[in-house]
Amino acid sequence: MATQFFSKRNLQFLLYEVFDAESLTKYPYYQDHARETFDMVLDSAEQIAEKMLKPLLTEMDRKEPQLVDGKIRIHEGMRNIIKKFGDDGWINAGFSYEEGGQQIPSTVLNSAAFIFQAANYSSSVFPFLTTGAANLLRSFGSKELQEIYIPNMYAGIWQGTMALTEPDAGSSLSDITTTAEPTDSDAECRPGVYKIKGQKIYISAGDHDMCENVIHLMLAKIKGGPAGAKGISLFVVPQKRIKETGGGSNGINTTNIENQTSNIEHRILEDNDVLTAGVYHKMGYKGAPIAHLMVGSNDNTLGYLVGEPHKGLTYMFQMMNEARIGVGMNAAAIGTAAYYASLEYAKERPQGRVISDKDISKPQTQIIRHADVKRMLLFQKAVVEGSLALLTQCGLYADLAHVTEGEEREYYHLLLDLLTPIAKSYPSEMCCLSTSAAVQILGGAGYTTDFPVEQFYREARIHPIHEGTTGIHGLDLLGRKIIIKNGKSLQLFFEELMKTIEQASEYESLKPFAEKLRKYLEKSAGITQHLLSLAAADLEVFLSDATLYLELFGIVTIAWQWLVQGIKAQEKLATAQGDDVNFYQGKLATMRYFYEYELVKIDGLARRLMSSDNVTVEMQSEWF
Amino acid sequence: MKILVCITNVPDTTAKISFTDGDTKFNKTGVTYICGPYDDYALSRAVELRDQLGGTVTVMNVGEADSEQVIRKCLAIGADDAIRVNCEPTDSYFVAEQIAVVAAQEKYDLILMGRESIDYNGGIVHGLVAQMLGIPSLSPVMKLEIDGNTAKMTREIEGGKEDIEASLPLVLGCQEPIAEWKIPNMRGIMTARTKPLRVLEPVGEGLTVTSKYELPAPKGACKMVSADEAEKLIDLLKNEAKVL
Ligand SMILES: Cc1cc2nc3c(=O)[nH]c(=O)nc-3n(C[C@H](O)[C@H](O)[C@H](O)COP(=O)(O)OP(=O)(O)OC[C@H]3O[C@@H](n4cnc5c(N)ncnc54)[C@H](O)[C@@H]3O)c2cc1C
Repeated sequence: MATQFFSKRNLQFLLYEVFDAESLTKYPYYQDHARETFDMVLDSAEQIAEKMLKPLLTEMDRKEPQLVDGKIRIHEGMRNIIKKFGDDGWINAGFSYEEGGQQIPSTVLNSAAFIFQAANYSSSVFPFLTTGAANLLRSFGSKELQEIYIPNMYAGIWQGTMALTEPDAGSSLSDITTTAEPTDSDAECRPGVYKIKGQKIYISAGDHDMCENVIHLMLAKIKGGPAGAKGISLFVVPQKRIKETGGGSNGINTTNIENQTSNIEHRILEDNDVLTAGVYHKMGYKGAPIAHLMVGSNDNTLGYLVGEPHKGLTYMFQMMNEARIGVGMNAAAIGTAAYYASLEYAKERPQGRVISDKDISKPQTQIIRHADVKRMLLFQKAVVEGSLALLTQCGLYADLAHVTEGEEREYYHLLLDLLTPIAKSYPSEMCCLSTSAAVQILGGAGYTTDFPVEQFYREARIHPIHEGTTGIHGLDLLGRKIIIKNGKSLQLFFEELMKTIEQASEYESLKPFAEKLRKYLEKSAGITQHLLSLAAADLEVFLSDATLYLELFGIVTIAWQWLVQGIKAQEKLATAQGDDVNFYQGKLATMRYFYEYELVKIDGLARRLMSSDNVTVEMQSEWF
Repeated sequence: MKILVCITNVPDTTAKISFTDGDTKFNKTGVTYICGPYDDYALSRAVELRDQLGGTVTVMNVGEADSEQVIRKCLAIGADDAIRVNCEPTDSYFVAEQIAVVAAQEKYDLILMGRESIDYNGGIVHGLVAQMLGIPSLSPVMKLEIDGNTAKMTREIEGGKEDIEASLPLVLGCQEPIAEWKIPNMRGIMTARTKPLRVLEPVGEGLTVTSKYELPAPKGACKMVSADEAEKLIDLLKNEAKVL
């Protein structure tokens, strides 16, 4: 088993040298923090990852969850892990002190999550799904709902989920058919309490035996409401509801609630008619189950409305940035683990001789000396470290948006909004390729289960699919994000890149890279103008290559992030000592690689995007 | 229960070791420091005992300002306050002297530390401190329970184990599995910054000066010879390694 699965040095470089995460502590919200606390958070993450998550990496892959007597059984080791995350305050670490959190910036928490994900992706998702669900509740739920559900979610006793997808509604959530019928017309008259009926599929951690209850944040349509997306509402649908013994609105007995938070033993839970119809067997990421749920089959599922009726999708989307950056991070983390596994192998595996010295009497050389193997390592390093830089940048924008006001806040919001589809899709798509390169470096060994890279390759594949497929993010970027506010986000983004280009131009050695980025930025702006000009004439043509546009945008964005890293590496190299010299040299060489091998891919994409041949639109289904 | 835990600030086990100033000083550049792993066990047990019996845990380090990062981590794990004696920990006697001075004033029920540090591995500070305070010292303790004024311990001895009892106060050198290693939680990390850390000036002076450090000779390249090629091995040992 490979030993290294991430680079602490690289995390420190990004957090402190490139993005100056410490500067957040000048804002009152983060003033209790210092680099010391950030380092301790990362150290704790590393220890948990090393001691608890990584040892189960292979085992959780081999012993998949099973549905036994209507309950999904997961790896027994998850009991301690979930408890640890709850007991140690990880689930709500980013939330305010008033909510029991520690106000830890996303920039830092995302880096900690990255360590967990790189150690064992499946095991890392359980607590963070709960964080996501709790975040929806704390942002939009009534105080009463918050008091009932949140404490046990933060404690890791209750699992949270996001239950959106249905058999006939995945990408197109406006087509969901799960219904919600008000019960306020009942004799009991319980405002906000609905009867829910429908099916949900692929719900991550939708049921398992290492928690006491599962709290679904579920989308459903209130009967009689508007059609399509405008009629979608958000509900809390617990797997087990708190037993109604009369009194209290929402049919919840307040005595029980008190007992529930103060003394788990006395809480009375009853079945809420959410049945687990199945567990899907997946190609990777096998340790975390995805469930098929039957809701209200016996007409006895109660759901509690979160916020206002018909605003469900809006609420969900407000939380989506976070989840999507989370997915990008998952991909980058898995890619990173694969990179280090293949790097370790390449340093040890003797095979063949260097082209300039084929003397057969000499021992074989380590494969890391072959240019083609170095190319595959550089490709991985460029993708995973470029992705991680962008994700860290996004975390910083999120934190700054949280602590600033007015125009400044809008500035960070707009940039974050624009970059989210890239931060989700670039790592997701590219880590499928980078993990493939890791397998390739190991040759036959890479294809066997004796080494972890085949698992990383399988695990990476989910990311272009969940939290919106790459296709959907392409549509989101071209069809929405670059146009909103009259293209202001795009303009801000271009300005950010120009700032970096100017900065880089101050270094003689970086000038060629700055110039290259300027050239490709101009090219991209031209392509954007061209595509936008098609919109009026034919929307279908306009959006037909939205995924390719997303790819192009991703490459420019990562090139920007490599130049940002290059500037810092160049600056630090002047006074670096010991291992740091190699570290900064490695950064500069990888930037070179990205500009030589990846950035130029825009030329091909540009040709296609500027072409007037609309083959994908004109192709007929019958011709396949 | 008033407990003192003495910790060392030592280079991470993966640190690259090199020297400066004509091989008289350890080169700290780029080296990550950690709390000595045995000290970590001692601290974890101290926190457990405090949680069980009440009282306080004070963590103490004899070291320069750069060890405060490690001290804060100990506070994050659960120590209530900390003392740093501001000096370079030049030798065991000097370090023990600093601890003994503080301990004589504060009158701890238990003084715990790791069985040895992992930099110089002297393993004598607990003994010296106990001697200076005139109280018993035991090491390496791998199990510790407190019953009233009595400590019930299991100690590793040559070829086996020994169950042993002694009255408090005591100085103990600890090792695994005395407690489960603790990882700082979020609340601990945040409170660590505001817990009191007293800095004291040292008494006396270090008695030793390092005149030269030397690294072990690098290991020679390793050649693998398969088990059925004994002759080749003998040939290599004779003609290449020239040891036969
Ligand atoms: C492991 C895993 C975990 C998951 N976890 C959850 C979870 O916790 N909660 C949850 O609610 N869901 C979850 N999902 C569901 C996931 O979000 C959906 O699978 C995803 O949104 C895609 O929906 P779909 O599977 O119905 O595919 P479809 O929507 O049928 O898409 C199929 C293909 O068609 C393309 N396509 C669809 N519509 C368009 C369009 N308008 N224009 C262009 N192309 C289009 C897509 O890009 C895709 O390539 C999970 C799925 C998996 C596999």
